[in-house]
Amino acid sequence: MEEKSKKKFLERETTRREFLKLTGKGFGGAVISMSILSMLGCESEQTVAYALPSGLLVADASRCTGCQRCEISCTSIHDEKIQPFISRIKVSENYNFGTDGPRIDYYRQNGQFGNLSMSPETCKQCRDPYCGRACPAGAIYADPKQGNARVVDTSKCVGCGACEEACPWHLPTIDPETKKSTKCVACGFCAENCPTGALRMIPWEDVKKAMRRSGYRFS
Amino acid sequence: MAVSYGWAGKILRVNLSNGRITTEDTSKYKDYIGGMGIGYKVLFDEVPVGTHPHDAKNKIVFGTGPLTGSGAPCSSRTNVTSLFPTNPMHLVADSHMGGNFAASMKYAGYDAIIVEGKARGPVWLRIEDEKVSIEDASKMWGQGIYNTTALVASEMGKEASIAAIGQAGENLVNLSVIMNGYSHSAGGHGSILGAKKLKAIGIIGTGSLKIAGNSKDLLDTNSYMLKELIGANNNHVVPSTPQPWAEFDSKGSRWTAQKGLYWGAAEPPVETGEIPPGDIKTVGLRTQKGVKDLGPVAEKYTKRMGGCQSCPIRCFSQLEIPQLEKYGVSRFVSNTCMGYSAPNGVMIKGTVDQFEKDDGTFISKTLGSQLADDYGVWCNYGMLGREFKYIYESGKLKEVLSEEEYNSIPFDLLEAGDPAFLKDFYRRITFKEGEFSHLGDGTYWIAERWNLGDDFWHGKAQKIWSPLGYPVHHSNESGAQVGALISCMFNRDSQSHTHQNLIQSGLPADILREVSAELWGSEEAFDFPAKYTPMNQYKAKFAKWSIVRNVLHDSLTVCNWMWPMMVSPVKSRNYRGDTALESKYMSIVTGENYTEEALDLAAERVFTLHRALTVKQMGTVDMRNKHDVMMDWVYDMDTDMEPFTEGTIKMDREDMQTALTMFYEEMGWDKKTGAPTKETLNRLGLDFAARELESMNLLP
Repeated sequence: MEEKSKKKFLERETTRREFLKLTGKGFGGAVISMSILSMLGCESEQTVAYALPSGLLVADASRCTGCQRCEISCTSIHDEKIQPFISRIKVSENYNFGTDGPRIDYYRQNGQFGNLSMSPETCKQCRDPYCGRACPAGAIYADPKQGNARVVDTSKCVGCGACEEACPWHLPTIDPETKKSTKCVACGFCAENCPTGALRMIPWEDVKKAMRRSGYRFS
Repeated sequence: MAVSYGWAGKILRVNLSNGRITTEDTSKYKDYIGGMGIGYKVLFDEVPVGTHPHDAKNKIVFGTGPLTGSGAPCSSRTNVTSLFPTNPMHLVADSHMGGNFAASMKYAGYDAIIVEGKARGPVWLRIEDEKVSIEDASKMWGQGIYNTTALVASEMGKEASIAAIGQAGENLVNLSVIMNGYSHSAGGHGSILGAKKLKAIGIIGTGSLKIAGNSKDLLDTNSYMLKELIGANNNHVVPSTPQPWAEFDSKGSRWTAQKGLYWGAAEPPVETGEIPPGDIKTVGLRTQKGVKDLGPVAEKYTKRMGGCQSCPIRCFSQLEIPQLEKYGVSRFVSNTCMGYSAPNGVMIKGTVDQFEKDDGTFISKTLGSQLADDYGVWCNYGMLGREFKYIYESGKLKEVLSEEEYNSIPFDLLEAGDPAFLKDFYRRITFKEGEFSHLGDGTYWIAERWNLGDDFWHGKAQKIWSPLGYPVHHSNESGAQVGALISCMFNRDSQSHTHQNLIQSGLPADILREVSAELWGSEEAFDFPAKYTPMNQYKAKFAKWSIVRNVLHDSLTVCNWMWPMMVSPVKSRNYRGDTALESKYMSIVTGENYTEEALDLAAERVFTLHRALTVKQMGTVDMRNKHDVMMDWVYDMDTDMEPFTEGTIKMDREDMQTALTMFYEEMGWDKKTGAPTKETLNRLGLDFAARELESMNLLP
């Protein structure tokens, strides 16, 4: 666990730094460059191997109060247990110190110990998903029964964690109890149960608009 | 190990003297539910009478219960049990904190953490699921809670949930806290960790809480609670202003959401609005706590509300106030209730406007809360300010301090209403600078040290409730004898909010009296505010039920500042709540059939064990005269009025003795002394306590 945690943290830092370099912008800004969108697969010219999803979960960081009921809702309905670590929406891991973890000037960075900003992170249901491309078992597919959300076929998943590594936000998570990957299926159950209406399901086509919308965090 | 539902199944025990880290099965504590119940049982069994709180032989128990982290709303409360330093006899007491810590304990696989012994040098405890280690904290020692938390997180990872003490706890200041999540603090036990040289506990829990029943039932119950039962903070169920959807409103209600009231510093601002019950997505907007705690000036600085894991009611206000940087603290503040008002109470000459109109107390509250939180200073539920006021205004301070020390304190700032005084005030207490710093010892200890007499103890202005050195906390002002009885039963200020939630719910008194009749047998259980009647048995039942539910909640653990669901905001329910909801959750989560009565009985067992432990520690059965005692002002206030006349909350001496007798009878305690009888101890399965008390000649 310790090693894994450390590794995850370092890798995430690297990914983020590269990511920020790409965009030349910070997170949470209203300006979204085309390179971010292309990283999402929004403007990708390459062959689409996945059918387009219909829905997308977005989080309004301004309305999020960090209650983490979304993580509870998510794992109750999908896993029949309560386990925030594998929640497909991530709030608690960013609660104290934002997505980047504690820095020397933590008191003005995101998080409860900083500027009190929340950093809810949601799956982008990428057009050409990094997680799916990375999966050696071909276990991540667009499920027409779930609006073509990118979902994990647990019968194929080998629990290797390649999806988690590949995702720029490390959103898929291997359940340490089942050794299977968990990722967002865009069911919207967390949004229905968010006590401040900070989560919404929007049509996937609106992703660029959603990211530009003031108050919606690019998460 | 077999799968455990609700309970994590294991208790972690860490001995800091010899470095031994072990786990044990939770099941032997099942009759005590969890949390507070585990805490009292461990203290009863394992800590010798006469132990000093700061001695290595004292133990501290961080307890959670079967509903902690279960997703039941308001279920991330940590119950902390240990000997209580401010108590004159160091009797056992609990402190509590919300935040994420309790839920994280469960996901890491622990129902409780027992810390015993004393480390040779500063350490912190690192918990990553089953991997637990004692780490060197020498770099953290001397740091405030904020830096300490950042340091632990930089070692463990950002996702760690961290509880820490500040310099006040390190320096063994009795009035000190243990805190997690920036502002969730357990007051009065910080110095226990300081004495053990344990600076912090960090937890990463990647595991799960398993539900025995159908998770759909759990989700349906969540939905039922959020749509039909829950109100705003303290379960106030009517809005504070007239609104089209609401039949009733009440100015004092914490359901402050209304048209035109915003989280003003959110981007874009979030309107709280007129939000009828029934919609889960607006429950968290009901309480705008910034305006409630800090006044109208707070609205434009309010970024959001905050609060605890799993709780849809956001009772912490979170603000950005750039002006605070002038005082050398962060511009970002998060707190609630007494966390704000206690530092303002230190500004005994008031605070003048600082940067804009009517911002005086606003600045004192927000600046003071940051100072106290980072140092980890506790207020003894507001006593600290009132004690300071007494010794300053009575001239006692001048008497007990050297001239040099007295002159070194910037009383000019205090007199001028300048909140910068708070920086000096909290620093002296935290670092034990001079005689003045003994204010941090607590009520009883300063009275002893400075020879404070009857007018200190019995004066109404100090609001001291008990000779045990704790203040009013929803006492005679809250339900007459009901609140008064509740306030006599613990070894610190009462943490029971059950009765207060009902009384302040905002519904008309007539409805509350009907609800009281349904719960306790007669409308006579409920007095109209300041229109009190003499004691009756229904009030005794109300008081007992309030305590039993408080103890139940701290054992399950769910928040007694919200639970139980006695009333509802929904008119079609005739505003009736559902007091069986705890048992419904317990049955679904654990898979065992729990009735409301079975849970109440278990909580009665826990509360009676607390009483037995108090008798054991005090070495007397005479609880009536040695423990359940109120200060004179409660009986002697409003000198021109008689008790039970409209407009006064004064109590009557003889009537209170009747109240105690009736309460003891409800509890099955000896009606003369108030000590638990052998029969009652045995009935509750506390035979071991009966045997031990008998051997000490402490059965009535």
